[in-house]
Amino acid sequence: MWKFIVRRIIITLPQILLLSLFVFLLAQLMPGDALTGLVDPNLDPAQIALQRERLGLNNPWYVQYYDWITSALQGDLGQSFRYKMDVTDIIAQRLVNTFWLSLLTLIFTYMIAIPLGITSGRFNDTFRDQMIVGYTYVGFATPLFIFALLLLWLLGFNFGWFPTGGSVQPGLTPGTLDYVLSKLHHLILPALSMALITTVSTVQYLRSEIIDTKQKEFILTARAKGASESRVYNRHIFRNSLLPIAALFGFEITGLIGGTVFIERIYSYPGMGLLLLESISQRDYSVVVAVVLLFGIASIIGALLSDIILSLVDPRIRIK
Amino acid sequence: MNELKLDVKKEKKAHRSQSGLNILWREIVRDKLALVSLIFLAVITTTVFVVSGLLDLNEIVRVDLFAIYEPPSENFWLGTDYGGRDIFGQLIIGTRNSLAIGFAVTLMTGIIGVSFGLITGYFGGQTDNMLMRIVDFFQILPFLMVVIVFVAIVPNYGIVEFSLIMTGFLWMGIARIIRSKTLQERELDYAQASQTLGTPRWKIMFGQILPNLSSLIIVTMTLNLAANIGLESGLSFLGFGFPERMPSLGTLLSYATNPQTLENRWWIWMPAAILIFLLMLSVRNVGEALKRATDARQRRG
Amino acid sequence: MTSSKMAKLLFALMLFLLLAVVGCSSGDDDATGEDETPVEEEPGDEEEVEDDGIYSIDDFDPVKTNEGEAISGGILNFGLVSDTAFEGTLNYNFYSGNPDVQVINWFNESLLGIDENYNYTQDGAATFEVDEDEGSITFTIHEDLNWHDGEPVTAEDWAYAYEIVGHPDYEGVRYTQALSSVEGMPEYKTGEADSISGIEIIDEKTIKFTYHQFTPSLLASGVWAYPLAKHIFEDMEIGDMASSDAVRQNPIGYGPFVVESIVPGESVTFVKNEDYWRGEPNLDGVTLRVINPSVVVQELENGNIDVVDSFPTDQYPENAELANVEFLGGIDNAYTYIGFKFGSWDADAGEVVVDPDAKMADVELRRAMWHAVDNDTVGQRYYNGLRWNATTLIPPSHPDYHDDSIEAPLYDPAEAERILDEAGYEDLDGDGYREDPDGNELVINFASMSGGDIAEPLAQYYMQAWEAVGLNVQLVDGRLQEFNTFYDRVEADDPDIDIYQGAWGVGSDVDPSGLYGRTAAFNYTRFASERNDELLEEGLSEDAFDIAYRQQVYSEWQEYMVEQIPVFPTVYRAVLVPVNNRVHNYFIPQVPGLGVYRNEIALTQEEPLSVSDVD
Repeated sequence: MWKFIVRRIIITLPQILLLSLFVFLLAQLMPGDALTGLVDPNLDPAQIALQRERLGLNNPWYVQYYDWITSALQGDLGQSFRYKMDVTDIIAQRLVNTFWLSLLTLIFTYMIAIPLGITSGRFNDTFRDQMIVGYTYVGFATPLFIFALLLLWLLGFNFGWFPTGGSVQPGLTPGTLDYVLSKLHHLILPALSMALITTVSTVQYLRSEIIDTKQKEFILTARAKGASESRVYNRHIFRNSLLPIAALFGFEITGLIGGTVFIERIYSYPGMGLLLLESISQRDYSVVVAVVLLFGIASIIGALLSDIILSLVDPRIRIK
Repeated sequence: MNELKLDVKKEKKAHRSQSGLNILWREIVRDKLALVSLIFLAVITTTVFVVSGLLDLNEIVRVDLFAIYEPPSENFWLGTDYGGRDIFGQLIIGTRNSLAIGFAVTLMTGIIGVSFGLITGYFGGQTDNMLMRIVDFFQILPFLMVVIVFVAIVPNYGIVEFSLIMTGFLWMGIARIIRSKTLQERELDYAQASQTLGTPRWKIMFGQILPNLSSLIIVTMTLNLAANIGLESGLSFLGFGFPERMPSLGTLLSYATNPQTLENRWWIWMPAAILIFLLMLSVRNVGEALKRATDARQRRG
Repeated sequence: MTSSKMAKLLFALMLFLLLAVVGCSSGDDDATGEDETPVEEEPGDEEEVEDDGIYSIDDFDPVKTNEGEAISGGILNFGLVSDTAFEGTLNYNFYSGNPDVQVINWFNESLLGIDENYNYTQDGAATFEVDEDEGSITFTIHEDLNWHDGEPVTAEDWAYAYEIVGHPDYEGVRYTQALSSVEGMPEYKTGEADSISGIEIIDEKTIKFTYHQFTPSLLASGVWAYPLAKHIFEDMEIGDMASSDAVRQNPIGYGPFVVESIVPGESVTFVKNEDYWRGEPNLDGVTLRVINPSVVVQELENGNIDVVDSFPTDQYPENAELANVEFLGGIDNAYTYIGFKFGSWDADAGEVVVDPDAKMADVELRRAMWHAVDNDTVGQRYYNGLRWNATTLIPPSHPDYHDDSIEAPLYDPAEAERILDEAGYEDLDGDGYREDPDGNELVINFASMSGGDIAEPLAQYYMQAWEAVGLNVQLVDGRLQEFNTFYDRVEADDPDIDIYQGAWGVGSDVDPSGLYGRTAAFNYTRFASERNDELLEEGLSEDAFDIAYRQQVYSEWQEYMVEQIPVFPTVYRAVLVPVNNRVHNYFIPQVPGLGVYRNEIALTQEEPLSVSDVD
């Protein structure tokens, strides 16, 4: 097992390096740089040119890349031009927000998926099942951003149940109970709107897993031995169906990354997704490269997690 | 996801190759919902392609200062947008563009993914190992970022360019599925026998294994189609889609980001929202029916 | 089977209903709202509004009308409208973007007051005396002006700002004309000198700046009047200042409010500065939040925010009747324009090079293009009258200098066609488009930026208008250019661009040489002529200290530009600020010299008014 994990990690290292090169090149290909946006007659163009020189923006890309990668390997991702801060500090600020958003979304996703999936699988082809299947169909066909906009409009503005932007109420001291509650309050709507849409695939998957499992022989045996129906479901079927779901967990992370970009934009929630969009339009390359790299690493870790869980679940898949 | 499921199941369908497509068709006809969906898809596709041929795009994207935000009326069946442009015409052309992208991307990713999957799967071993690392690498690429950059640097950004970019970063899913299936398939008797008989490898791959995978490919591609249509609209929403002169369902939907449009001018975005919803639902219905057809136990009747 | 179909249909139906509810319900609300609230404005205004949905900036006031009795205290909720987070570089000497300055303005201010033409007055925290012969200005800082920590604001702090921003190691973008015009500053910046010869600290509160070129611009907001608290920053490395806590977490100023807490990028809370030199503020404090432009209206309706820094004008018509707010309005110091490319920029020589053979070199062609577009209708239809036809390159936001007697070409397609016919632009091959006088095909490439509210239809409209007079104008690359790409290409004099649409915010000083001078890098059209040089120079001459003379010079310049048409302005614009009815003494900060200050802002009640309260 450990050998497998170590091998996987060794494989991912060059991937990350290649990714960094690729992202860096893409950033270079984008027209304009951090100083292009400063079109203001009150500023002195000569000073801007000087800045460009000082920041090394006139160097050929490989020199810039070399400079960047050498300091990145020492944990220094450079300075954000826009924020005048270390990139690591900004990312630390935003990462916390995105982390909580993702966590709550995952919790909601499973809170919705598990009961619905079980009900639907256990009572398949009943009315209850059809309702749940109907929901998954609708969820599948509804674009996330339209759904989020509607929820924001309905629950945020019309009913006023939830705040409509930001991550915390202004003026609270970090660490107090009020602060934590306010954070949670700001998280619920974005997380819920994402979970309601993304959960449908998990529901469907769980459902078909359970339908599959309940026809398996050991279940039939258990039933034949007189185990009660609820015992069969709770002890045998559910447990057996849950493990493959757990294996999907890693892929959920990859899915979340895409989702947060939309959700954070709609709810003006200052996380990594919003940071990416902002930095791209402002050409704050050091941030763009770092954020994309982090997204890449997160999805690599996600895939790794999935593989590990998968090989625990199903020895046949274990990599030789 | 599909990969897993398909891996675990069936070991027994090698002999079905001839009747595979027949089974798919029979299953669709049996499932009325899927049949209706298929007919709906066909009708919409034909309609938008025919009607958009009759419409003059330049006329539709022509700005009219005196017809801004007209509600639906006799002149404008679905009203106008903030440039005084007819929504109905944009909807038709937009649907055509979105479908064209969906089909093009699905087809291209299908071709690349199937060939890639067949080759890696059939050769296996070191080849497989190396090629799969390429797939891995593509999968960690930040799709969104890449598209945004391409929008900025590709001059004359249009349907062809957009489809190519999407294809470049979306072929890996199907490649993985086909690969794992091919790995199983090549161990089966018929493939082994052909090999012993000295049949050229490409013939085994494309002449024998491929037909056996046809139903799986059709299912995967159908489900991909829905996803691809959805992707385009998402990108437009973030502002990285098509220019307004080339409407798509996504551009129409993205007008809903203006709160006034969302609340007060339903005619701009709701038809597109409903259409995209129905399209995805129908594709899905067909796809599900096909998927059931490949799984004998869930087949109906 | 049947039940499954039913369920799916049911769900589809439910979604449709949800969409329908969203689509219709609010529409009804608005409709009734409009009927019910004939708002107590002057009847004249109301009539105009109801007639055609066209508004005029003349109907707006830049200062809030006060209704009801003010209370003392209360918290004002301020919305910073932006779709990005604010950067958090909260110091005048280090910031680079607009969102940040909106935050800074609450807790700090310029030492100098300005009048409606952006000329310095003696109403600020510092007063001044000019010595024209010596070319120097002596400033005296108000006795009671203290930093928030109680330390006095001193002449040394002011000089310190020059020393830091002018330092070779300084990494921000604030080193401008306002600093470099001080004697000895350029030498200090290059590191040749250790101190700045033109700055003399006379006593704790008095400082004298000597200038190597003394121009009227100096007294029109041409002085860097933002001191830097030396007692806080002196122990820091220059490179670390912008990221220090004193800029990002606990920023310091001497303005009416004190920063209490900051949630990076999203919100700031302020409490009042009891020691404020103009007097203790009425409010207890201010809460500032970043508001996405797409939700501004809802936040205003609910009373979650009282005021915003600026309101997206395209959302105004539907919300003109919001019952719980009053819209203030002023003329923005900006204009949109169409620019023609004349040549290129010679970076080594630092000046423009005019190409006499440029495609757009013929002034008649340019004039015809101006005649061909109907900017008044554009303003009325796209902006409901909140943008309107522009005539000259000095907008009416500078009332003393804007010359409205100048007759600029008006919309007249027949005249445009006549001019083109006369100038020899005729359609020779019958394709519907005119050829140039030599009979060659004429395709004009038009660059325009994406991202504005109506960028696409607007560009489309202009192209149609030109097509109507027989000119073949095509978008560069067949699409709009994204912001960075656009400026990258315009700046680099991309040969694919013949004309472009841009916008300028004019500086506080009326002098246009930064945009149209021969040596100005921002002179994107690359237009230059001797007459132009002469007029621009005259505007900065010693004679121009006489306002009347300066007015005359700039009037001539405006006229000259209307004749030569290196660019033509399309629309001037209004800036709108909605203010909750409970707020007193609010004013549009973008309009200079109103004589109302932030410490005077007051509330009539603790709780904000929402729309439902008013109904």
